[in-house]
Amino acid sequence: MPKNHGLRILIATVRVPFVHGGAEIHAEGLCRALRAAGHQAEIIAIPFKWYPPERILDQMLACRLLDLSETVGVAVDRLIGLKFPAYLIPHPRKVIWLLHQHRQAYDLWQHPLNDLHRYPNGDEVRAAIHRADCELIPQALHVFANSRNVAGRLQTFCGFDAAPLYHPPQDAARFYTLPAEDFLYFPSRINPLKRQDLVLAALAQTRLPVRIYFSGSTDEVAFERKCVALAQKKGCADRVQWWGPVSEEKKRDLYARSLGVLFPPIDEDYGYITLEAMLAKKPVITCTDSGGPLEFVIDHQTGIVADPTPEALAAAMDGLWEDRERVRQWGDAGRQRYSDLRIGWDHVVEKLLA
Amino acid sequence: MKVLVVTSGVPFIRGGAEILADNLCQALSAAGHAAELIFIPFKHYPPNRIPDHMLACRLLDLTETCGVRIDRVIGLKFPAYLIPHPNKVIWLLHQHRTAYELWDHPMAGDLIHHPDGPVVREAIRQADCELIPEAKAVYTLSENVSNRLRRFCGIAGEPLYNPPAHASQFYNSSAGGYFFFPSRVTGVKRQLLAIEALARCRERTLVRFAGEADSPRELAVCINAIRQLKVEDRVEWLGMVPEEQKRDLYANCLAVIFPPVDEDYGYITLEAMLSSKPVITCSDSGGPLEFVVDRKTGLVASPTPESLAQAMDALWVDRRCGAAMGEAGRARYEDLKISWKNVVEKLLC
Repeated sequence: MPKNHGLRILIATVRVPFVHGGAEIHAEGLCRALRAAGHQAEIIAIPFKWYPPERILDQMLACRLLDLSETVGVAVDRLIGLKFPAYLIPHPRKVIWLLHQHRQAYDLWQHPLNDLHRYPNGDEVRAAIHRADCELIPQALHVFANSRNVAGRLQTFCGFDAAPLYHPPQDAARFYTLPAEDFLYFPSRINPLKRQDLVLAALAQTRLPVRIYFSGSTDEVAFERKCVALAQKKGCADRVQWWGPVSEEKKRDLYARSLGVLFPPIDEDYGYITLEAMLAKKPVITCTDSGGPLEFVIDHQTGIVADPTPEALAAAMDGLWEDRERVRQWGDAGRQRYSDLRIGWDHVVEKLLA
Repeated sequence: MKVLVVTSGVPFIRGGAEILADNLCQALSAAGHAAELIFIPFKHYPPNRIPDHMLACRLLDLTETCGVRIDRVIGLKFPAYLIPHPNKVIWLLHQHRTAYELWDHPMAGDLIHHPDGPVVREAIRQADCELIPEAKAVYTLSENVSNRLRRFCGIAGEPLYNPPAHASQFYNSSAGGYFFFPSRVTGVKRQLLAIEALARCRERTLVRFAGEADSPRELAVCINAIRQLKVEDRVEWLGMVPEEQKRDLYANCLAVIFPPVDEDYGYITLEAMLSSKPVITCSDSGGPLEFVVDRKTGLVASPTPESLAQAMDALWVDRRCGAAMGEAGRARYEDLKISWKNVVEKLLC
């Protein structure tokens, strides 16, 4: 570490007790990168509970009441806000790197899984969230978004711009490639938003004997059962393998040996899976409504962007299965694109502290 | 059980309270519970920021997480212990001290100097008086902290002692020819008093000091006194020492000197007892007085160089008496049943 201790930086985010997911890994990755660059960095994680809706207002106010401007008389040089409502914490030198807003008040308002609009005060709380975001986000020196998709929503709903700032998946340097074997790989939590069911319906319609390896933990047991039953019913269970939760090492091995990667979620914010596939030099099959992956996958250059229908996905899967030379070229092109995009923590730190 | 330990603190600063919070989480996990730490940042100046942070804590909701109940919240520090929860237990490390016993302290007092200090002090007192009793049970770090809570807020809290880190690794070796004074080097620990006492000893006593100085200024004060009093050859200044060396210094000393000003608790007393060494402390030292039984497990002196010098001479001359006191201290540690197992049982019952 250099003699001068660099800047004193706090990362403001929220956490749901006993849940450790992508957002936590993201904050920890940023904290490590700042320290590696010679700065002092710490994560401030405010607990968040979004129900009943009036609790959201309480916690927005709690964040506004905190004072992170200095510690025992020494200035905090930069506050980096990541998640709602922690990014509302005031600071004279704040930069927001928006992971996402409170989606239930925005793009997921009408979504069947959302319940905010069912409460009598749902509209009121939604309006308060909009007002706070619209008035307070622009107080930051700079606003970046986790992805173009997240930036797009901010533009749609609040009317201001944010530059997308990409960051690498965990252990990016450890991904590698091997010659393609006879399976497509779908690594994701087993969850309706990731659409394993759509992929199974597509598999039943392929012309060629396509095989799929699924890995990932199960969020909803009922959905997993539905998927297994669907494979049975459609008569393609023998072309499917369920790996469940796998180690990081095993995951990288499956990426490396796969023919291509399947990742057709519904409106993903960002999606590490696309990037991991690119690092493993594999083409990605995604869908036109998948959000984040569309910022990285170039149709018929680094993968295939299909309509979210079994027919279109089946055609995409057959397409990869029968042309291995094309698969190799697209995989290489994906890896090249990853490099061109300068996705790395050094770049992130440089932008956030500029 | 799903348990959240909630505490407050200053970002970038890690002291005894932060270590204790981590140790508590570890002890809860080791006992088979799911435990996590919630840290709420706290800035105590200007004074009007204090009520803001109190309100922020009251606005947080830790009753459940994703629809699953949180079974217990354990509050440690102000203002985080104000966070509401139906099954909260407070293990009070300390209240906001400059609103209470340090209000008019010549060095520590800060609120007293602000125009809105008295109002904020009253707001803190009211919140503590009304909201601390919301907890199902109130434990404190020590009798000393309990006494303050009773005196200022009229609330009873049971002292619940916790062991120092690596308690099982302390040992006794021999009674060597030196006193050991381990502490951060800073005014309230009173290294200076010990140096002045040293100069007044009849015997040719020797003191080994270990611990990091809070600031170069604090260090200079001690070094200058050592020169002026011409006791250079009777002082060893070791600075920060590794844990292993610290245990060795305990194991081979004649006695431990620990005379701080109104310490909340003080692991040093306990570490000395674990090493079977007598402790010399002062009548205004707070925490250590709960453990040191005068003339049985150590000596309680008045906070003057003369009185402290007398205590040092006494132990220097009568080594057998010192050894017996050390053994009695070790036995007292066992009697008090100071263990994380006990802490976890109490906080979850």
